[in-house]
Amino acid sequence: MALEIPDFQVYRGTEPPRFASQAELECAKVLDYYGVPWEYEPTTFVLEEDENGRVLEAFAPDFYLPDQDLYVEITLMKQSLVTRKNRKLRKLRERYPDVRIKLFYKRDIERLAQHFNLDLAPS
Amino acid sequence: MRELGAEIAHDYADREPILVGSLKASFVFLADLSRAMPILHGLDFVELAGYGSAQMGGHEQIRVLKDLDADIRDRDVIVVEDVVDTGLTLHYLVRTFELRKPRSIAAVTLLDRPYRRLVDDLPVRYVGFVVPDELFVGYGFDLEERWRQLADLRLVHS
Repeated sequence: MALEIPDFQVYRGTEPPRFASQAELECAKVLDYYGVPWEYEPTTFVLEEDENGRVLEAFAPDFYLPDQDLYVEITLMKQSLVTRKNRKLRKLRERYPDVRIKLFYKRDIERLAQHFNLDLAPS
Repeated sequence: MRELGAEIAHDYADREPILVGSLKASFVFLADLSRAMPILHGLDFVELAGYGSAQMGGHEQIRVLKDLDADIRDRDVIVVEDVVDTGLTLHYLVRTFELRKPRSIAAVTLLDRPYRRLVDDLPVRYVGFVVPDELFVGYGFDLEERWRQLADLRLVHS
């Protein structure tokens, strides 16, 4: 079922965001509520190419906060299953050392949900 | 508390800062901090509708439930927080206060979780304790509006 997208106040993207999960939507709503400008998946970082320049691996963090110059990736995977995502982040940091990115794990999101009374259940 | 109070008093000697408590959880901390600051200072409070409660009421933008009584133009403002976590609340307060042209804005927080920051351009100058990812009640902190009255800060085991 499609997520119901509200009218965002401080969304800075050009295309309407298409969230992959309820958790992403809820995070966007919190950012918007507190007036922190945000974009959704504005940048895809190439992590690996073959010798012909074809992209073998890429990574598009969920959010970009332009005022903070910070990318935010959220994951609801169990801690034991985030190895692949951690590896991507490590690659991104190696290849783009000036890019600031923060990963919010399942536990962080659950804490946020508790604090902000978020509904993380899939719709 | 004595150390925090003395440090702030030292930094603001010969000035008269105004402590602004962000309700509700900071009220006990603010009361103790105020009494630990041996310099003249003002007190005021502000309260914002939290995201969760606002959603229940249908608001999609942050709302000020209680604004400052004092005029902070040309004043040295010290925002008193119970905890700085994502930094979203403090970020909003600072931006709002800056529009009123204070001389300076700083923040003091009893607890800090810097590893959870979403916004980091914050003037957090004084920190009581950096704490792990645990839930606390007492000393003004609540769990569903209960336990604020406990004299000490206590860890909640889930």
